[in-house]
Amino acid sequence: MHLQVGCNPPTKSQRRKKRREEKKTLDFPKLSPDACVFHCSMSPQQLNMAAVGFRNWARALSKGKQPGFSALFSQVRAASGPSKGMLPGPYPQTPEERAAAAKKYNMRVEDYEPIPDNGEGYGDYPQLPDRSQHERDPWYSWDHPDLRRNWGEPIHWDFDMFIRNRVDTSPSPVAWHTMCKHLFGFVGFMLLMFYLGEKFPSYQPVAPKQYPYNNLHLERGEDPEKQPEEVKHFNI
Amino acid sequence: MADYREAPLATRPKTLDPAEYFNLSLNQRRAEEERAGLRAQLKRQYQMQLNNPHRKELIEDPALTRWVYARTNPYNHFRATKKTSLLGGLFGVVPLFVLYYVLKTDRVWMR
Repeated sequence: MHLQVGCNPPTKSQRRKKRREEKKTLDFPKLSPDACVFHCSMSPQQLNMAAVGFRNWARALSKGKQPGFSALFSQVRAASGPSKGMLPGPYPQTPEERAAAAKKYNMRVEDYEPIPDNGEGYGDYPQLPDRSQHERDPWYSWDHPDLRRNWGEPIHWDFDMFIRNRVDTSPSPVAWHTMCKHLFGFVGFMLLMFYLGEKFPSYQPVAPKQYPYNNLHLERGEDPEKQPEEVKHFNI
Repeated sequence: MADYREAPLATRPKTLDPAEYFNLSLNQRRAEEERAGLRAQLKRQYQMQLNNPHRKELIEDPALTRWVYARTNPYNHFRATKKTSLLGGLFGVVPLFVLYYVLKTDRVWMR
């Protein structure tokens, strides 16, 4: 986004927006050799930046302030991309930090509530309501209609879970606990019955198959002259 | 409007919530106005960039950048508390021992 020179003098809100815009949509500046060094996990956005980064890395390793390998893990980032103040930071301790964080995330100070700090690494990221994108108005003209989201809107931490292909938090036709009871009740009942059926089998009475003609004496190829043994199958 | 019933699988839209129409204090109204103002500013920024005929590059979304950064760098703010140590041990250390034991005892050595 370029500076709008030569237009009408910008109004106050336009100037404020422009300041915000310029911070976010800078032209990628060419890195000068004496700019700061790289950031380990930053993905190179231009092809020459990778080469410049490597050059700087080699230089830092050879004659940086920190000796040896600690130079590789320095916290300095490249100048392209968002400034440090626009990225998420640590949990806000003072009200001023809270206000600054709310402004950073484009939220009202009263609305901004950081995720409680329990050491799990959320930092100052805001706690947004756990509602999936299914619940958003399908008829409103979103900037990104498939995601039902506007540009610049703060993204939920679990946004990739709440997209419309995945978890759906819309209200169910029947209450949740009723559904749970029905499902687990049915499954539990079936499991119980199958278990009991294994334990106490019940079937028609069976016996080994009985053949006529003295247990098929001749058909089985035995001696026709020899008198076959009498097999009594039942007593009446 | 009075007897609107929402569709079975949808939440009631915000604009049809009766609480929006009755008992609305001035503070609530002011809050809604401020939120609408923020939304309008963001919309305007996006539209200005979208419809700019001289734009050649992609429109970068800073909220997305922040989200990605926050999701990929949790260890900057990680602290070893009871809960995190328990979870780390449960998911990272215990399976090693359990799997070793299970695989070792379950294995039948064929000759």
